[in-house]
Amino acid sequence: MKLYRIRSVIRRHTYEVIHNANHITYMVYWPVVNILVWGFFTLYLRHGDALKPGVVSCLLGAVILWGLFNAFQRDMAVGFLEELWSRNLVSLFASPLSVSEYVTGLIVVTLAKAMVGLSVGALIAWLFYHYDMFLMLPMLLPFILNLVLFAVAMGIVVTGLIFRYTTKFQAMAWSFAGILMPLSCVFYPLSSLPSFLRPIASILPTTQSFEGMREVIESGGFSISHFRLGLGLNLIYFIFAIFFFRWMFEAARSRGLLVKME
Amino acid sequence: MLVTVERLTKTYGKFTAVQDVSFVVHAGEIAGLVGPNGAGKTTIIHMMLGLISPNAGSVRLFGKSLETDREQILQRLNFTSPYMAFPVRLTVLENLRVFAGIYNVRDPAAKINELLEQFGIGRLKKKPMSRLSSGEITRVGLCKAFLNDPELLLLDEPTAYLDPQAAVQVRAVLLDLQKSRGTTILYTSHNMHEVERMCDRILFLSKGSIIATGTPIEVTCSILNEDRSAPALEEVFIRIAGRTPDEAVSN
Ligand SMILES: Nc1ncnc2c1ncn2[C@@H]1O[C@H](COP(=O)(O)OP(=O)(O)OP(=O)(O)O)[C@@H](O)[C@H]1O
Ligand SMILES: [Mg+2]
Repeated sequence: MKLYRIRSVIRRHTYEVIHNANHITYMVYWPVVNILVWGFFTLYLRHGDALKPGVVSCLLGAVILWGLFNAFQRDMAVGFLEELWSRNLVSLFASPLSVSEYVTGLIVVTLAKAMVGLSVGALIAWLFYHYDMFLMLPMLLPFILNLVLFAVAMGIVVTGLIFRYTTKFQAMAWSFAGILMPLSCVFYPLSSLPSFLRPIASILPTTQSFEGMREVIESGGFSISHFRLGLGLNLIYFIFAIFFFRWMFEAARSRGLLVKME
Repeated sequence: MLVTVERLTKTYGKFTAVQDVSFVVHAGEIAGLVGPNGAGKTTIIHMMLGLISPNAGSVRLFGKSLETDREQILQRLNFTSPYMAFPVRLTVLENLRVFAGIYNVRDPAAKINELLEQFGIGRLKKKPMSRLSSGEITRVGLCKAFLNDPELLLLDEPTAYLDPQAAVQVRAVLLDLQKSRGTTILYTSHNMHEVERMCDRILFLSKGSIIATGTPIEVTCSILNEDRSAPALEEVFIRIAGRTPDEAVSN
């Protein structure tokens, strides 16, 4: 891996962000809309008094963190789709640039964009709904890290699928995270799922992160076990993602799909 | 030998796009890959670049294989292809800056300006790619291809969209490079007069197989089966178009 090539990929995507207003929309629009809708909902909930303490905070925390995960997975796939749409793949992959350098550059840009979204969401929650996420940030960071790692692994899987199935698969770029949402226990604890679904849900790093987040918010304690389990699972998914990607990439290369988009 | 292609074969399902193709390109020569539409020229070039994997056979560039020395090989060559384009929202300059970075060009600004002037598109620098004409895009592609002072150039129809004056210019640049730096060039074109003028040697391809190689005159004589004092590749072309590969090879 050469730093100057990774820098060039970052440069390429930074230019894209500057020229393409869609990126600004993705980056701030959804985080703002989401937090506003859910924020008003929590204002409504606060009127009743049957609520367990911490529910409102968990809800807002979940909205922000799920937004981060979703945005990360989507932006990675869309960043790659942009190469496909503009038929830039030929020039890129017949240059000394390696796939891992490309993906690394893309991850850096995506991370920067996701952090902007996260900050905007957290800021609005703090200003309008008295929800101070920054206070708990040090304890949430490990779970955010696990969310980002899983998003990268999923981004790699989706990118692999786009390589192989090209634009036929492009809708997945925006919706892949959605498949994982019901089982990721974003807004409800693992214990509220039907028992036969729990084993599946608990092998998702997202579930571990959201369980951990709830523990931080409700009891103020950091659950090392949720973090460790999430990290271990991420490692497995990462290895899987890389093999899966190589497989898809080779299949695309043998079918001539890097050259001719379908 | 700068390029050694051995028994290269590519099939898509039951269809054979390239069959058992072998050839070499010597250092410092301009070799032309010619043949009718669908003959397999682009497929061969893409396999040489590692964009398409062959079913059988091997490609060695600079004596090395892409499997083991991909980065080194691709750093020393460059290419244009009708299947490549640039991100449309980025300006000409931005796109070239990105590729200058990828190829680790020293003093990219100076190099880019020099190339833009050489290919007559200096005034388009700040324009987004989406606003360019096809000929202008081709020229940006050529600028990209020269960024890293390549020792080997693989050019797939580099003059297809160019106006006659630009085509003359590009041919002059290529010939000049070959003379001054000994750049090796493999290129495809459907302009037979251009091929006759430019190429030291041609590889004539039909339906996935090479049916003749040699200087333009040699190929003309061998395929037309008569003595000629001047190349007549257009005639050769028309003759080939009506044949099956078996007939062509047996000739
Ligand atoms: N991905 C693919 N899947 C199936 N067939 C393909 C694919 N790519 C190319 N082909 C076929 O392989 C053959 C060779 O194509 P290629 O692009 O190499 O031709 P070419 O010699 O460059 O032609 P042209 O002069 O028109 O550019 C064609 O018949 C084409 O239809
Ligand atoms: Mg072609």
